[in-house]
Amino acid sequence: MAASMIFGINQRRAFRKLICNCRERLYRMAYAWTHDPYLADDLVQQSIYKALSNQKQLKELGAAEAWLFRILSNCMKDHYRAKRDVVSPDNLVISESGTPERMTEQQQLVEKVQNAVRQLPLAQCQVVTLVDLEGFAYATVANILDIPVGTVMSRLCRGRRALKEHLIDVRPGVQAGRTATLTRVK
Amino acid sequence: MKKDEHFSEEQLNALVDGELDPEERSVLYNHSEHQPDLDMRICKQRKIKELVKHAYEDVPQVERPRARPLSRRGLFSTGLAAGILLAVGLVIGVVGHSLVERESLNGAAAVATRAVAERENYLLHVVSGDPEQMYAALEQARFLLDATGEGEVGHVEIIANERGIDLLRSDVTPFAREIADLQRQDVIFYACSRTIERLNEEGIEVVLVPDARQEYTAIDRVVSRMQQGWKYEKI
Repeated sequence: MAASMIFGINQRRAFRKLICNCRERLYRMAYAWTHDPYLADDLVQQSIYKALSNQKQLKELGAAEAWLFRILSNCMKDHYRAKRDVVSPDNLVISESGTPERMTEQQQLVEKVQNAVRQLPLAQCQVVTLVDLEGFAYATVANILDIPVGTVMSRLCRGRRALKEHLIDVRPGVQAGRTATLTRVK
Repeated sequence: MKKDEHFSEEQLNALVDGELDPEERSVLYNHSEHQPDLDMRICKQRKIKELVKHAYEDVPQVERPRARPLSRRGLFSTGLAAGILLAVGLVIGVVGHSLVERESLNGAAAVATRAVAERENYLLHVVSGDPEQMYAALEQARFLLDATGEGEVGHVEIIANERGIDLLRSDVTPFAREIADLQRQDVIFYACSRTIERLNEEGIEVVLVPDARQEYTAIDRVVSRMQQGWKYEKI
């Protein structure tokens, strides 16, 4: 019986292990959505609580990762709804942070890209980061965010177009140091 | 041959995201060989994707102080995972008080029996400030201690955060005596330091009941215990 799969001892252990393993990835995603380490940490904690409390809702272990990210997304929406009940969380743009004066080229590049992502509407930011950071398929992203696949594609398109406008001037030379110090490939 | 502009951004995104099937990929790559503009567009899409990925490879972490050292008797060191077998009832909280009591008894007894058989340890997590919920958690721990019987090696921990922190606040908790009683039976209580910090920021001074320990975040304890194979129940 599929519904009882997750409740076997082995499945429960596997689920707990998966949650532990996913924690860093959830945090990275939460950070990419909020750019606030403390808020990101809180959201991940809430998400894990919810996942543990509601694990009976999970029908199969194979769907657990997407389910965790879906919970994270819902936690974040709840958070912003509670903070701003007038503005739709999807249209929310996280405010831009100041730029440190002295940064290495590597830091400058990271800061520039993160600033560009930060300026995206949250709905676009979520799609872009779920696809680019986690490599989720469009259908999985649609499931996580509870939107049609076509919406995923259009948000991704708008998001990347905006990023291109901000980042098109990023010189390849900035990345040269990284290429030279390549230490691993997939 | 299809001209560059006939390939939409959606198609190029789908290409760099691995969403196209092999045939569609071949068509696009064939065109790009003869159309530098198309090739450049593909490169830009890929570059944006890589830049985003690169920018979040190392994100800043929240600094977490280590858990404070034990303040009192140590029956066991914290690293010793083997221990007492305690359990949590299945249906607390959402039903009326009498039902909670009755079902806690039945549920805890059943789980306790199973726990003994499976040699499993339990972590109870109190998040509710409702005294009835707090009491239910304490009662379940007590029932389980009774069920394990004398001489059984056993271990239970109760961690409180959010509003559940009131359970361990000496000036607020209605259960100081019950907590002390359970501590004498080696139940260990933890308070979430993060929750305490927040209360402090709100101007609320938090004084914990004697011998309560602190963990920086409740989830740290939950995750660490789960990794050690403990059972977890949130109340």
